[in-house]
Amino acid sequence: MRRALLIASSLAIVAGSANAQDQITLQFWDNQQTESGLSEYQRAAVERFEEENPDINVEVTTIPYPEYQQRLLTAVQGGNAPDVATLDQIWVGAFAESGSILALDEMAAEAGVEADTFFPGAWESANYGGQLWGIPFNVDVWSFGFYNKALFDEAGIDPESTVTWEGLRNAAAALTGDGRFGIGLFAGRGEDTVVALDSFIFSNGGRVLAEDGSCALDEAPAVEALEYIASLAPYAPAGILNSNSGSMRELFLNGSLAMELWPALEQPTLQKSDLDWGFVVGFAPEGKTPVGAYGGWNLAIFESSEHQEAAWKFIEFMTREDVNGDVVDLIPANVNAAEVFLEENRVGPDRILDHLNNAQPRPVSPRYLEISDIQVTMFQDVFQGVEPQEAADKACTAIDALG
Amino acid sequence: MSRGSKRTQRVWLAALQLAVALLILVPFFWMVSVSLKPGTEPFAIPARLWPQNPTLENYVTAFRPEFQTYFLNSLIVSGATVLITVTLALLAAYVFSRAQMRLVSIVMGLVILAQMFPASAIIIPMYKIMREANLLNTYAALIIAYVTVTLPVAIWMLRGFFARLPITLEEAAEMDGAGPMRTFVEIILPLSKPGVVATAVYVLIVTWQEFLFALSFTSTREMRTLPVGINDFIGQYGIRYGELMASSVLISMPVIAVFFLLQRYFVAGLTAGAVKG
Amino acid sequence: MIARERWLVWLFIAPAAILVGVLMYYPMIGTVIESFYSASFISPQPTFVGLKLYNELFANAGFYQIVWNSLVWTVIVVLLQNLLGFLVALLLNQQLPGQGMLRALILLPWVLPGVVAAVLWRFMYDPQLGLINSFLMSLGLTGTGMAWLGEPSMAMGAAIIAAVWKGFPFSTVVYLAALQNVDREQVEAATVDGAGPIARLFDVILPAMREVVMINVILTTVFTFNYFDMIWVLTRGGPQNATHIFPTKIFELGFGQFRFGEAAVYGVFSILVLVLLIMLYFAVQRTGRSWRRSQ
Repeated sequence: MRRALLIASSLAIVAGSANAQDQITLQFWDNQQTESGLSEYQRAAVERFEEENPDINVEVTTIPYPEYQQRLLTAVQGGNAPDVATLDQIWVGAFAESGSILALDEMAAEAGVEADTFFPGAWESANYGGQLWGIPFNVDVWSFGFYNKALFDEAGIDPESTVTWEGLRNAAAALTGDGRFGIGLFAGRGEDTVVALDSFIFSNGGRVLAEDGSCALDEAPAVEALEYIASLAPYAPAGILNSNSGSMRELFLNGSLAMELWPALEQPTLQKSDLDWGFVVGFAPEGKTPVGAYGGWNLAIFESSEHQEAAWKFIEFMTREDVNGDVVDLIPANVNAAEVFLEENRVGPDRILDHLNNAQPRPVSPRYLEISDIQVTMFQDVFQGVEPQEAADKACTAIDALG
Repeated sequence: MSRGSKRTQRVWLAALQLAVALLILVPFFWMVSVSLKPGTEPFAIPARLWPQNPTLENYVTAFRPEFQTYFLNSLIVSGATVLITVTLALLAAYVFSRAQMRLVSIVMGLVILAQMFPASAIIIPMYKIMREANLLNTYAALIIAYVTVTLPVAIWMLRGFFARLPITLEEAAEMDGAGPMRTFVEIILPLSKPGVVATAVYVLIVTWQEFLFALSFTSTREMRTLPVGINDFIGQYGIRYGELMASSVLISMPVIAVFFLLQRYFVAGLTAGAVKG
Repeated sequence: MIARERWLVWLFIAPAAILVGVLMYYPMIGTVIESFYSASFISPQPTFVGLKLYNELFANAGFYQIVWNSLVWTVIVVLLQNLLGFLVALLLNQQLPGQGMLRALILLPWVLPGVVAAVLWRFMYDPQLGLINSFLMSLGLTGTGMAWLGEPSMAMGAAIIAAVWKGFPFSTVVYLAALQNVDREQVEAATVDGAGPIARLFDVILPAMREVVMINVILTTVFTFNYFDMIWVLTRGGPQNATHIFPTKIFELGFGQFRFGEAAVYGVFSILVLVLLIMLYFAVQRTGRSWRRSQ
């Protein structure tokens, strides 16, 4: 009996180690999708991948957004970064500059992965210094103006009139009062503030950084946008300097806010509510087209990874047309997958696609986080009554000093 | 003082007592109230003191399988920290209070001084040390870190306690022929129970809620502790308050329970220690 | 006697000394050294820059605001916690009905995990949905919700209130224990001498508690100065840096923006300012004592 056990266990060990030698384990980190509990889809996708690639085993670690950046940073600093991870678009510049992620141009060229497969803004966000540093995974656009039909009807305003700046302001004014607010503007310290307010700048033809990398916020289009935003402030809920998109959503859901600014991601939440809602595709001055600001994630391979080939295979898989739509709850970055996804999951897919194709990314810079911080200060200054040109000049001085 | 005005005085004091109790309890009440609000019911303006359709669904969500992992981790890490910190602090504080050597006082002074170091300033170097020692994502990393940061205060608390124990106790034991170790174990230790309990409760409460180190030293789900687990309900764009509060209630209950059970000893320990510090 | 066995003495001290030395002093020294290098995530190769970062800091108005905020935050929170703690301790020391219950409940805020308390208060302060505004509006004291955390002028005050709520119970328990340990005979002697309750308080009770007060004030000062959770969750240091203190600034620079050199400089100053604050406290205490002695 004992002998049999001994033989059995040695066989098991040998068999195990033989497998272990052929088995590669990939560490994959992703943002934890609190909204939708996406993890089951990720797991299903991973299983599918492992079926197609039996010699690769993928370990998924999901990390809540508030700590994701810090964890990645400490992991890279500490020398135990994952093999593959999703990176917020705004982190790509810093990770690229630091040399901690791999340039993917060769691998992409060999595999035939090209720019056209993805939304132009998303592809742009993955390029820095003339090289490709990530493959777009998912995207969304700030912002759509989700409106409460009942409130608009009650006030006798046509929601579609809000697509122009004048129209939005008039509507917001009419809808504010009696404890209700017209437009959900927010300016707390957070990236959602930047991305939502950037879209006003973009829609007026302005930019954050010019082609040569210098600050463009003090130029006319951006300053006009700031002036416009300041004029909307009286119609936004009080406490604008400490509020964020989440607090706006709470107000919208309980009927105190006529219009909230959110990406398409908001739709499932609204579907579940009792509200009668609709949306407009952004706002722009009369005669111009609304331009949204991209948000989203790219997949990157870490330089320290010992399984770069396998990691690439995983990325290729996750961004493949037939897979991309199943593993995201933002919108797939793969255009074809996105069309299918939007048809199946979102109201008004064509309008969303238009907004996606128009949208611009935020600056790709290794110092983006500092730029963002300066922008938040600028927006907060404006809401506190500082002259927009002055606020913009101050911001540009700070941004240009970053060098 | 006349009987009547003394009565009014007592009534005023009782009212003050009630006010203090309310001050303490109202936020807790609110926490529970929010935790019972279903996700589909929007927040009302003005705030409702009690949800329209109270439900336990948030607690069900909060008590997910990960919660049990986080709970176990918190239990192991806090428990081990309390044991180790109290032990080491006992030894160090006792010697600190008895030894006449200048060097000892300086060393101990430096140890106690260390509580001034801000955590966020030392955390990255600490992280590197843990990494070199291959201790990331282990209980050991957190336990070692927690023991280290709670030792200074623990030693300070216990030293005050020991300073109050008269040296005649040890002198008597010596005359009876007992060696220093025996004196320590058989005479000093039993007498230090109140101080030990007070220190233990303090360390437990502090480590149970610790957030920054736990966040930095563990990356895998399996190793997370309860406070870090709260982040599960804070998304990129919004906070799920109902589940967050339910989770908070669940996290708070164990320490509140321990505290209620031991509070008499805690106060007694503080009496003996901090008072004549 | 243990004092005689030197090896035993060192053995007992060694673990604590080694742990704290390796894991607190060594990193702290590392941080000091790091403050002379400019290192960030994007340029991880540390380049020696000497005092450059220090100079930049002194030229930056934001630095002085952090110092000011930290001082205001610490001093006021410590003052209120100790004052409120003492008053409530006095209250609990009277023989009143329901006292046992209150004494058991009193430590609840302190026991509540810090992050939880902070999220709770953040929600309570919400301009539209929060409990506090609803309460004030129902009393007719205000028309619309006030942005407690959104107005730079009010944010620090709001944060202070939350921190005092969280921490005063600890002071209460300490002072209650101290009150119960005051020599009964001295108090009675004073009463016999005709001293009223106020006189008894200031001439007998408080002096007897002096050492406890000092220790508690120092403890709460150190803790409050380095208290990260509350402000970070409430306001992230905003709005417009109105509530940014050393711990939040260090975290934001180091972990939020990956600027390690600058975070290290703030770290160094964090300790310097705290030490100065405590020395100031000792100085005030000493002058207070000699003033009283001269009376």
